[in-house]
Amino acid sequence: MRVFDAHRVLGPVPGDLVASADTAGLLAELDHLGIDGAAVTPSSVLFGDPAHEQEGRSGPVPERLAVVPVVLPAVPGAGWPAEPEQVVAAAPVMVRTCPVRHRYALTGPIALRWWRELAAAGIPVALDANECGLERVAALAAQVPALRILVLSPGYRCLRELAELLQSRAGVHVETGTLAGAGAVEWLAGQAGAHRLVFGTGAPLWDDAGPRFQLDHLRLAAHDVELIAAGSFELLCAAGAT
Amino acid sequence: MSPVLDAHGHVGSWVDFFIPEPGARWLVDTNDAIGIDAVGVSHLVAVGRDARAGNELALAAAERHPGRIGVWLVGDPHRPDAPSILRDQLSRPGVWGFKLHPDTHACGADDPRYDPVLDLAADAGVPVLVHGQTGSPTSDPAQLVELARRHPEVSVLVGHAGLWPAGFDRAARLATGQPNLYLEICGSRLTTRWLERMVAVAGPERVLFGTDACFLDPRLGLGKVRYARLSDTDRALVLGGNLARLLGDRIILDRTT
Repeated sequence: MRVFDAHRVLGPVPGDLVASADTAGLLAELDHLGIDGAAVTPSSVLFGDPAHEQEGRSGPVPERLAVVPVVLPAVPGAGWPAEPEQVVAAAPVMVRTCPVRHRYALTGPIALRWWRELAAAGIPVALDANECGLERVAALAAQVPALRILVLSPGYRCLRELAELLQSRAGVHVETGTLAGAGAVEWLAGQAGAHRLVFGTGAPLWDDAGPRFQLDHLRLAAHDVELIAAGSFELLCAAGAT
Repeated sequence: MSPVLDAHGHVGSWVDFFIPEPGARWLVDTNDAIGIDAVGVSHLVAVGRDARAGNELALAAAERHPGRIGVWLVGDPHRPDAPSILRDQLSRPGVWGFKLHPDTHACGADDPRYDPVLDLAADAGVPVLVHGQTGSPTSDPAQLVELARRHPEVSVLVGHAGLWPAGFDRAARLATGQPNLYLEICGSRLTTRWLERMVAVAGPERVLFGTDACFLDPRLGLGKVRYARLSDTDRALVLGGNLARLLGDRIILDRTT
């Protein structure tokens, strides 16, 4: 079974010393857990201002890793990149955005233009629910229904809201790493389908070992487990390419 | 072979959020599948609002699943009759010890109203599991140290080992200074690297595996210990050797399943 972690951070993080501070350390972590590949957000653009943290970041990355840039829609000179067309031209597998951390309006007029561009190009957007709340995610999904959204780190306490969001917004997908309630992954798969659940951990900020172990012990059909392990993410990213 | 014992579990539903699998049957079936021999539970009715009724529900679950479910009897600091009720319940099959939740009880862990429960634990030779949350006005690990210091004959388990990453190192250091204090590791914020650090600081004989089922999925908690970079000896202590030692003859395992 191919296992792909759709949510990891690469680089030093505040408040801890982590093995994934560099690429070699991150790959060693993946090997230890039996994870084939990962979508990684550089910590420099997550914990810094993307508008000022792009220099020197264009080096090659191993094939196992897909870089997820952090985009910041804003007035000229205050965001990154300057225009959404630049994101579309770069064709990343997915982008991440942090409206609360980077203080901008997720559904303001500037950002909405970006999301419509990305939706048209089929580029998914990842949002950390632990950062921005499910309400913002729901508002964005309502305003740009064609946009593919991956909800990161929703936690285990909002299953009712999450299930309703998944049922009402077809473009929304959810990362499983923090769906930590007893039986939560199976329950949500039953509510929305395994194709809407994407294996991811949020490591090193969140635990990766538990979700990886759980993947081998889910009480779901093998096909559903394979979807969660890697297939759903591939479908999410490929949807716009067709 | 050393047993795998989950030191911190629950059954029941909860007021704040939806729990998909709150029942004992699901918990035992899942534990069967992943290799957890037994779990000690407090019922969430007991943790939340009615210790006496909730403890009876936990005892009934233990009766239905002998050797697979143990019981932490919740001690309510507000009921004057709690000690006599707990004394009776303590002799029932499957009881592992007591559980205190200073946050839901709105009573500091070091408050003397908990002393009768600790006295019962000392008489019976059973451990006491206490919710331990860094920075909480009622359950900060430093307050649990004070509780343990006043009752040196009782093994006090710091539930969640402080809960927040910012408090894990401090909790481990507090345990090194108080011989009857143990770190129980369940919680959504623990990572393998913090578990490895805790074992390094406090020692492998002071760290106990727990999952916080059914709040949390036991597969996640077990995975952290399975994937942690620990020696086989240390892992066996954390997974159950330590708790088996503390429980003594109160632990009776059903390994027929």
